[in-house]
Amino acid sequence: MSHHHSESDDDDYSYDDDPELEDEEEEEEEEEPRSSRKKRGRSNPDPVGLRGKKRKPSGFIEHGEADLGAEDVGRHRHFHEPASFRSSRVGAEEYLDFMQEKYSNPRAEYEDDGDYEDGEPTHVDQQALLPSVRDPKLWMVKCAIGREREVAVCLMQKAVDRGSDFKIRSVIALDHLQNFIYIEADMEAHVKEAIKGMRNIFANHKILLVPIKEMADVLSVKSKTVELARDTWVRMKLGIYKGDLAQVVDVDDVRRRVTVKLIPRIDLQLLADKQEGREIVKKKAFVPPPRFMNVDEARELHIRVERRRDRMTGDYFENIGNMLFKDGFLYKKVSTKSISTLNVTPTFDELERFKKANENGEIDFVDMSTLFANRKKGHFMKGDEVIVIKGDLKNMKGWVEKVDEENVLIRSDMKGLNNPLAVNERELCKYFEPGNHVKVVSGTHKGSTGMVVKVEQHVLIVLTDTTKQHIRVFADHVVKSAEVTNGVTKMGEYELHDLVLLSNLSFGVIIKLDSEAIQVLKGVPERPEVAIVKHGEIKYKIDKRMNVKDRYKNFITVKDVVRVTEGPSKGKQGPVMHIYKGVLFLHDRHNVEHAGYVCVKCSSCVLSGGSYSGADRIVDSFSRLGNSKPPVPPSPRRFQRADSGYNTGAGGRHWSGRGGRGQDLLVGAYVKVRMGPFKGYRGRVVEVKEKTVRLEHEAKIVTGKLDLRYTHTWFAASTPSFSNMGSQTPIHPSRTPLHPCMTPMRDSGATPIHSGMRTPMRDRAWNPYTPMSPPRDSWEDGNPGSWGTNLLYPPESPYSRAYEAATPGSEWASSTLGRSYSDAGTPRDANNVPSPYQPMTPSSASYLPSTPGGQPMTPGTDLDVKSPDIGGDAETWLMPGILVNVHKAGEDSNAGVIRDVFPDGSCVVALGDRGEGETVIAIQREVRLVCPRKNERVKIVGGKHRGSLAKLIGLDGSDGIVRLDDTLDVKILNLDLLAKLPHA
Amino acid sequence: MGSAPAQIPTSFGHELRACLRCRLVKTYDQFRDAGCENCPFFKMEEDHERIVEVTTPNFNGIISVMDPSRSWAARWLRIGKFAPGCYTLAVSEPLTEEMQHICQEERVQYVPPKRM
Repeated sequence: MSHHHSESDDDDYSYDDDPELEDEEEEEEEEEPRSSRKKRGRSNPDPVGLRGKKRKPSGFIEHGEADLGAEDVGRHRHFHEPASFRSSRVGAEEYLDFMQEKYSNPRAEYEDDGDYEDGEPTHVDQQALLPSVRDPKLWMVKCAIGREREVAVCLMQKAVDRGSDFKIRSVIALDHLQNFIYIEADMEAHVKEAIKGMRNIFANHKILLVPIKEMADVLSVKSKTVELARDTWVRMKLGIYKGDLAQVVDVDDVRRRVTVKLIPRIDLQLLADKQEGREIVKKKAFVPPPRFMNVDEARELHIRVERRRDRMTGDYFENIGNMLFKDGFLYKKVSTKSISTLNVTPTFDELERFKKANENGEIDFVDMSTLFANRKKGHFMKGDEVIVIKGDLKNMKGWVEKVDEENVLIRSDMKGLNNPLAVNERELCKYFEPGNHVKVVSGTHKGSTGMVVKVEQHVLIVLTDTTKQHIRVFADHVVKSAEVTNGVTKMGEYELHDLVLLSNLSFGVIIKLDSEAIQVLKGVPERPEVAIVKHGEIKYKIDKRMNVKDRYKNFITVKDVVRVTEGPSKGKQGPVMHIYKGVLFLHDRHNVEHAGYVCVKCSSCVLSGGSYSGADRIVDSFSRLGNSKPPVPPSPRRFQRADSGYNTGAGGRHWSGRGGRGQDLLVGAYVKVRMGPFKGYRGRVVEVKEKTVRLEHEAKIVTGKLDLRYTHTWFAASTPSFSNMGSQTPIHPSRTPLHPCMTPMRDSGATPIHSGMRTPMRDRAWNPYTPMSPPRDSWEDGNPGSWGTNLLYPPESPYSRAYEAATPGSEWASSTLGRSYSDAGTPRDANNVPSPYQPMTPSSASYLPSTPGGQPMTPGTDLDVKSPDIGGDAETWLMPGILVNVHKAGEDSNAGVIRDVFPDGSCVVALGDRGEGETVIAIQREVRLVCPRKNERVKIVGGKHRGSLAKLIGLDGSDGIVRLDDTLDVKILNLDLLAKLPHA
Repeated sequence: MGSAPAQIPTSFGHELRACLRCRLVKTYDQFRDAGCENCPFFKMEEDHERIVEVTTPNFNGIISVMDPSRSWAARWLRIGKFAPGCYTLAVSEPLTEEMQHICQEERVQYVPPKRM
């Protein structure tokens, strides 16, 4: 076969008596393995069969055989008629007839590229042609600007003149590459030889070798014109309109001229002056801003405006001088060379401006389909959800099945439309729904991700993940994606959230980077001030670590959590990200503006978390804690009253020096949740607020859900290992509460409210001076049982209810006593069970005697049961119809469906995923919600929408994005408020 | 050089046109005088109206192919079997249907430019 192949090469030239061909043949042989592989792949159908048969006849055959060999390689694919012939495989006779006919035609053999397929060369074929090491190389040679073509042509002439001692193979001059040409040759020496003495070639300049991988890229040029059709968006290349968007109105192919319409940049005054022959002061640099032509205004300036009818189109134009205007637009005839058509993506503003032209909305968004002319190939992909925007099928939605050149086969779920429909891609637009998470793939917002919150025809309003801003993008520029990115996060040496010094010596934090500009929140504490700067306006990145003092002279370093107590940003809090010149930049993740950044004076802040300034400090503080004082959390209210209060109170710098942020010692500590829906979770405390703490769990942020007591237990119990954990914390900067997924749309219902926690006894409980503080030695003796119960929860304290119906008081007591903080099913005392259905009475009784703490049960538990608060919050999540896990002590966890809920919080649960099993009665704390997954049906069990049914359409950190069934509104709710529904 | 080269363009400017089938680049005058070396069946030299029909001034880049059979670039561009000469990398318009029909009758391959 290889031999045939090389023969065919000879055949292809009409001038095959060239002696040099001998050489060539050999060379072809060498290349054979690759080309034959390629060719074998597509020389079907059945070349072997054909060849086998045609051997039988005689005479002509000898010759035919040779030809067919070649044919096998290339030719026989070129019959244009034999589609039927091939498929029927009529046999050798007919085939030979055909061959005869073909070759009796003198010109048939004339051209046969051999590389062409019947239709188009397929992608795979082209791949087979990719250069290998044996192919000649491409060398980049410098030449005079504008002479690229000339050089290429001259080298051709030179090659013709020199004949065979000219060893270069080809010379390439690209239109888009100035100053260089490519020369294809085996060796650099050949290139040097060829360019010797050439005018316009800088022979002394270094000759660069193009890497093999890039060779194909050199030659892949895009067809120059994207078919200059009417309505195409183009950009002007020259003159005062340079860079301006224009729309093609008419194309004159013969003269290569187009008429475009654009927004005029005309200085009417200047025009008037000119017309009246007044002196014109030429201000050269001045380019008038684009403004629609107002004919009346022009007339007022005594500019001659004539209304004339265009001969060709029959439209009326206002003529001023030789300029034509219509509807305020300038209609300009330009050469096709002076406009650029490639990759013109009008920005939103530009299109809006074009649209504004006629108030009657002639250029509606529907007309934006003209944008599609500039779509890249492969815009649609299989599986894309699309909507038809034009023609009979308008508004039909469907999914892309297959993409042909221009037509897209779509499948619709409409009844009766079982077959895919072919729709021109220009009549299609990608379709998104609110709630979709998308990624912007082109345009100014390229790279950002976010959630679609609104769809206005082709325009989507997307809430970005990082900046929490609404951006308007074209549906065309967006793909569905679960990815969460910050958009552009790096530009040159600057990254998002860097502190930078600007050229005017002001400074600020980069809060947004996009392809064109950088937004900087300036370091002005008085008011939020955002500067939009160019890359060049940033002098450098400020990378200094400084300490400043807060209002109470506490040292603040980067990453410390502070709260703003005065000024415009009062109430904001978060970790300090940057400190510069006494100004802090905090990141409050609840702040939707400025990417969450807040700029404040350090003196308006109060340090509220443990300092991160050194890992050892945390460890240190806890070791001191051991022998100084147990962590009695001073009431925050006290703390605000006066800061001298605790200075005098609990001696030692340990409390007072740190501004009395006793409970904040917990911040940064690793704790485990003992109760409630997050039971078993471990995480780091990021914030302590009154009696609740906020934990940062490895996987998700659990906010304000935990009663301090729960975590405390564990904390106390695990003190020995505490230092270890504490020391680890600062190494995890990524776990700072800078959660980018936080959305500003958080439903208020999702925020737990703990107002019910202020019981009259609180002050006492929290007051470090009360005699109730545990004896120090008991702490040191490692008897947490006694201090725990004594310390925080004096017997008479009526426990407030937090979050859950499970009575924390008793839970506290029993678990403290039991010291089994990992208990999933700690035996419980019957007393604290509010439900008469509680089945575990005996077990608790047997448990009690073994209590090691010596103080079996505080009377508080009794009180607790009767706490009037009970059931208040309990209702937040138990509802009939939801799927739950029932976990009774000593048993495995079972799924079930709540059938009924009693006022005391206990409920009737039908076991089984669909509630098909037996019915049991469970108290509330034995029941846990089943966390729904994406696309599952949920019931909202708390907040404003309590009781509503919805579908979970997305997840965002600890939040779920749901679409309510009745209103179809999209809401973002904490996952804790979403209960999975059993499968129907 | 494998075979007799095609005419070399005599200028480098706007007079240049490219054959829509084989992408050979020459000036209008050259096409008028000698037709296209690779596509003689268009008979441009006989019918000058044809020149406008089967050639275009609208093309992208020039490649001078000295040695088509041994040039990788020529192979890649699928002009490896044509006469040596100046070609363009890409034309943007397809042949008219009528001209495509001629190609078919002549049994020569024609590949319309791909829209990119």
